[in-house]
Amino acid sequence: MGLKGRGAIPAPFSKMRKRIGRFFYRHPGIEGFLFALPYISLWAAFLAWPVVYGIYISLFDWDPLRGSKFVGFANYVELFREPRFWNAVINTFKFAGMAIPLILGLGLIFALMVWGWGRTRRGIVAVQASLFFPYLLTVSIVAIVWKWLLERDMGLFQHYLSSLFPSAPVFLTEPAWALPAIAVATAWWLAGYRMLVFQAGLEEIPVELFESAEIDGALPHHKLVHLILPLLKPSLLFALVLTTISAFRTFGQVLIMTEGGPGWASEVLALYLYRVGFDYFDIGKAAASGVVLLFLILVITLLGVKLLGLKSELQ
Amino acid sequence: MRWIKRYGPYLVLYGVAFLWIIPILWMADTAFKPTRDIFSIPPKWIPSHFTTEHVQRLFAEWPFARWLLNSLIVAGSVTLGSLLVSVPAAFSFSRLRWKGRDAVFMFLLVFMLLPWQVNVIPLFFMMTKFRFLNTYQGVALPIIAMPIGVFLLRQFFINIPRDLEDAARIDGCSSLGVLLRVILPLSRPVLAAFGVYIFNYAWNEFFWSMICLRKPQMVTLPVGLKILQGAFEIDYGLILAGAFMASLPSLAVFLLLRRQIIRGFTLAGSGVKG
Repeated sequence: MGLKGRGAIPAPFSKMRKRIGRFFYRHPGIEGFLFALPYISLWAAFLAWPVVYGIYISLFDWDPLRGSKFVGFANYVELFREPRFWNAVINTFKFAGMAIPLILGLGLIFALMVWGWGRTRRGIVAVQASLFFPYLLTVSIVAIVWKWLLERDMGLFQHYLSSLFPSAPVFLTEPAWALPAIAVATAWWLAGYRMLVFQAGLEEIPVELFESAEIDGALPHHKLVHLILPLLKPSLLFALVLTTISAFRTFGQVLIMTEGGPGWASEVLALYLYRVGFDYFDIGKAAASGVVLLFLILVITLLGVKLLGLKSELQ
Repeated sequence: MRWIKRYGPYLVLYGVAFLWIIPILWMADTAFKPTRDIFSIPPKWIPSHFTTEHVQRLFAEWPFARWLLNSLIVAGSVTLGSLLVSVPAAFSFSRLRWKGRDAVFMFLLVFMLLPWQVNVIPLFFMMTKFRFLNTYQGVALPIIAMPIGVFLLRQFFINIPRDLEDAARIDGCSSLGVLLRVILPLSRPVLAAFGVYIFNYAWNEFFWSMICLRKPQMVTLPVGLKILQGAFEIDYGLILAGAFMASLPSLAVFLLLRRQIIRGFTLAGSGVKG
């Protein structure tokens, strides 16, 4: 292989190496495949196979101890008949509907702030760092901190909100307000990374465009709507896909902050699946709801890709 | 007016940044104040005295140090393993020709969108069969198998000029030589970016870790915190001390390597656009 170390290798090895080298030279396809093989085998074993296996399990009344029974689509039928499942589906969409705009909106505002005001000012790094840092925390920390901030009597935010507005809801204990509170905590966690994505997009816009817009007398909001947003489209779409996926698989925040409660008011699909599979041990049904979740995410992402013309961005 | 124009933005920026880190400050505050202050209404900002009792209890009554170690081992081996398999694969997908290459890559790409929830149930049974439950390899392998690294690195490798590779090949470099002597030296920033990204991912991974690691001795920090929180619903001093101590490594690394980390995530985030 090398240029430098060739002389140092004993003759028999170098002969073998030459032979191997010649083989690969004649069959470049095999060599190319071999480079990818370690990853592909891991991928096949721990990513692709489980998906197939999951679909398989979802067709069974699964019981590894006493033996499983093939039941066809009975798990799906049972799932679709269950109000708790539909409740989880609706909650997932509700959560996505609140969290996605919040995360992207905050990320965009932060990016515009830091980028627009930061270019000519010093000391902006600390601001960027503080806005980004929560993203580095694990979901349990985020959830624990927000649960504490929203604690009904002693929570910092809850206390000041309730004393300023006596009619303010007690977030985590009122069915209608549990999901919004989790969405806010999620936005606090994830908005910083979107800010970085948008900032990278903003940096790519040529400065001349702003100069000429300024000469033409464009107002700030003109610049935003007609210049920045169109040029930021690739970053916006990327962040949208990223955020949609993470919204649909939300789990840890809900588990720790409300455990799906009060009642099932904040139970999302991922938590439902966990409950059914690992608390009630109805494995077949849990696998079926996993397949439904997979289907949902695939359809939404593909729809998004199609509708928003993301395809060119992905290639 | 001029004063506002000059300093107004600063005021807004620092104001927002301060508001944004209040949760973190409050976590640190709670972790180090006596229980009496924690339960005071209205909330007490300045503790009556500083105490490490919660942190001490954390280490004395809980295997917190072990959790930290578990997290380090898992995140470290995921990062290493991921680089080890993703780099040659990305190289192969970007610069070597073989039959069906692009079809296979598109197939991988579809799996990038896959949420954990879809395959945890089958993974759980697979790992039970392999006796990989409650082991480091059990948590790490499925994370290593994620396509994000192959995808990011391929985007970068594709843009390295062909001429460099051709020159090396004329000088007698094999494919492995091209990878080691041409591609890798040129992609240090991207490798670092991906390393940062995947380390952080593994460090923070919660769902799969919670399912695969069930022994309190074996869990990583995120799952350990869940155990703490579940055991003491209202012992906020201990829980918040745990959260604070668990965020210290991230905070320390972030303060030390802020520039590299932000650049890493920016690269990983804009990697999709090439």
